[in-house]
Amino acid sequence: MNPALRNIVLPLACLAMLALVPVFAIDGYTRHLFVIAFIYAIIASNWNLSLGHCGVFNFGHLSFFGVGVYTTAIAAKTFDVNPWLAILFAGVTAAIAAFLVAAPVARLKGIYVVLVTFAFSQLAMQLVLSQSYITGGAEGIVRIPYLRLGDYSFLKDYKLGYYYVGLGLLVISTLFLLAVTNSPFGKSLKAVRDAEDYAAARGISVSRQRVLVIVLSAIFTGIAGGFYAIYLRVASPEVFGFGTLSLALSMVLIGGAGTTYGPIVAALALTFATESLAGLRGFEEARFIVVAVAMILVLRLAPGGLLGLLDKLIPEKRQE
Amino acid sequence: MDHLLNIVDVTAGYGSITILRGISLHLDPGECIGLFGPNGHGKSTLLHTISGLIRSTSGTISFDGTDITGAKPPQIVNSGLIQSPQGNTLFGDMQVFETLELAAFSRRARKDRETNIQKVIELFPRLGERNTQKAKTLSGGERQMLSIGCALMCAPRLLMLDEPTLGLSPRLKEELAVAVGKIAESGIPLVIVEQDVEFLMSLADRLYLVEHGEIVREIDRANAPGHDEVMRLYFGEHTH
Amino acid sequence: MTETLIATLVSGLVLGSLYALMASGLSVVWTTLGVFNFSHGALMMVGAFIAWTVSEAAGLGLLAGITAGTLAAAVIGVIIERLLIRPFYGNRNMLLITVMTTLAAMIILEKGAQIIWGARLKQLPRLIDGEVSVFGTTISAHEAVLAVIAPLVLIAIWRFTVSTSTGRSLRAVGQNQNSATLIGIDVPVAFALAFGLSAALAGLTGALLGSIRFITPVMGADPLVKAMIVVIFGGLGSLGATAGAAYVIGIIEALLILWLGLYWTPFVLFLLMIIVLIFRPNGIFGSAE
Repeated sequence: MNPALRNIVLPLACLAMLALVPVFAIDGYTRHLFVIAFIYAIIASNWNLSLGHCGVFNFGHLSFFGVGVYTTAIAAKTFDVNPWLAILFAGVTAAIAAFLVAAPVARLKGIYVVLVTFAFSQLAMQLVLSQSYITGGAEGIVRIPYLRLGDYSFLKDYKLGYYYVGLGLLVISTLFLLAVTNSPFGKSLKAVRDAEDYAAARGISVSRQRVLVIVLSAIFTGIAGGFYAIYLRVASPEVFGFGTLSLALSMVLIGGAGTTYGPIVAALALTFATESLAGLRGFEEARFIVVAVAMILVLRLAPGGLLGLLDKLIPEKRQE
Repeated sequence: MDHLLNIVDVTAGYGSITILRGISLHLDPGECIGLFGPNGHGKSTLLHTISGLIRSTSGTISFDGTDITGAKPPQIVNSGLIQSPQGNTLFGDMQVFETLELAAFSRRARKDRETNIQKVIELFPRLGERNTQKAKTLSGGERQMLSIGCALMCAPRLLMLDEPTLGLSPRLKEELAVAVGKIAESGIPLVIVEQDVEFLMSLADRLYLVEHGEIVREIDRANAPGHDEVMRLYFGEHTH
Repeated sequence: MTETLIATLVSGLVLGSLYALMASGLSVVWTTLGVFNFSHGALMMVGAFIAWTVSEAAGLGLLAGITAGTLAAAVIGVIIERLLIRPFYGNRNMLLITVMTTLAAMIILEKGAQIIWGARLKQLPRLIDGEVSVFGTTISAHEAVLAVIAPLVLIAIWRFTVSTSTGRSLRAVGQNQNSATLIGIDVPVAFALAFGLSAALAGLTGALLGSIRFITPVMGADPLVKAMIVVIFGGLGSLGATAGAAYVIGIIEALLILWLGLYWTPFVLFLLMIIVLIFRPNGIFGSAE
């Protein structure tokens, strides 16, 4: 596929289509699915930055999302911060959390990075569960304030407002990711991933890059979390759970680790797939099993993700 | 014509890279053959293919009348076709006696474990002295002895040695030559891959020159050229 | 004051025994296959549930339950190795991929358990009822039995890997696959064996734990994190180091609970782990780098 077609025209076309969706889908439920899909798309594409593009075995990514969720929830509800600001603030706290995780793992070997980042996310969940007077413990926080713009309340119009905010955040996040991956920094990240020793020999500080990339990947993930809290008006410890983790991870894998658009497409596809499964009786929990199986199948059969498969099918693809 | 080991027209390689291109050779009971030739031209690959570590893409390998083409390594070891591989890394954290005892792993080898340990220690007394030392603390020469010792513990009916003198001092090479000679005398047929052609010539009945994954010359006692000509064959035509 | 200290140390020993059992399984898999099994905690949970089903639901008694739990976990472990690890042997990214496949396995087991057994809390009866007096403090007899069983099991595994042919073959495979193959060891069989053994250990721990903790589908999550901390402290390389680290962590944890309370202990432990890793990236008993 012609690179210009693939990298510019196709995404713009998709964006245009997405912008028009609310014209055709006027019910709240479909729009709701899209909003959730947008949020997962942000999580997955940002996770790809550290995991796929840079090759850092960061398994604490979802904790950045959770930190964002709770930051905004607490700020907006307990401290009466303007919800818009609360969402932005979530990006800051998520970045701080990312720094706290990233600094110790900067120099560690692969498996220890996995263990430490994973343990961190478990601890984050435990923190939330135990400090219940702030976080609401297992029940979480409810009735979080909703978005307003002047006199307009976003609760109106069957989530129309939220749809476009969600889409807007996705667009900004994607532009951010594209800017990072195409910058000299981004390119050197790829070099680190593919040949760490060689990169170190060229004078690239591997550990500093690792920290930076983990922090960068956390910003919009946290913002997505903040938006999630405002949109659903609920914050629950489930955001730290394995269900959310596996869903996001499978989006990165199925979409194609190492690409920015792949996880976004996968997020849209999987959100709709799992939601429709949740509708079937008896599948509320089983859909996670389906997702896990899908993850395994992708790893076994199509490690480049489904988008990678697509590339192989279209013969005129030129390697960059 | 029933050879003990018969390799017929075997091709093999790694992934899309072909190393062996229709190689054929044979070995009869009581014989000792040597393989020599430039590096990277398939000698080790051939041994790996015989041992079942690599699947051949065509051709046949038979051992003692049985077709072992494509057979799995445990089966091949159990039939007594044993290889002592190149680079004697073995099991760094295991002690000498543990390693030797473990090497009698196949069902066939297990029966004579105690007797064989005695034989190995007799052949390589230094291993006996270092009985409880871990393999990674041994010197290069001692590790090579351990590697060959392990192969002997497998109760070989045919023994293949891949570069047994690699990296060894001349004195050690001599020691090893004596030991390998004793192994040959005890009736075990040998296939030896070596860079050191002198070493080979003192032990082998026949030599095969392997180049680009093929046999380009077979030399036996009958048509043995002079020592100098072998050297020329080996060095003269292949200046790097 | 000394009484509380002794009580804490004793409870630390009990915790340490538990962690040692859990972590030793992870160590066996790591040293033989070079992978980290994220479903280890879930296998523990499966052991507990199967033990409960056989012991309580079917009424066959606790010992039958423990045996069944251990065996069931072992079987599932072998299946996991076959389907989720073996296809990736020799792959350049084997470590990362198997982290993800075993993570997926954990989710399948957890959600599966939830569907099969429901989320209501269950519990197994104790091996021995009543309490026991140890060094002047009392603990439940079941815990005391646990603290005795654990070292016995560890010693058994140690003897197995050091003195038996099969056990040695696992060590050999972990150190040099090629050489192991050339002396006749069937490497895939060795891998399956190591994984099955590791899973059996997890199942056994779960079955034993089911009497003093509640059996729920997520009961394996916390022990998994604790086991992670243990192997990070002790380094993944040796069974002895892992066991030692387990007891150290157990005692440290008990002391921390005494001094800081239940809530802050996990964080301090985590912090300690980070500090250890900064100075010794391969664990306390591993090499400094």
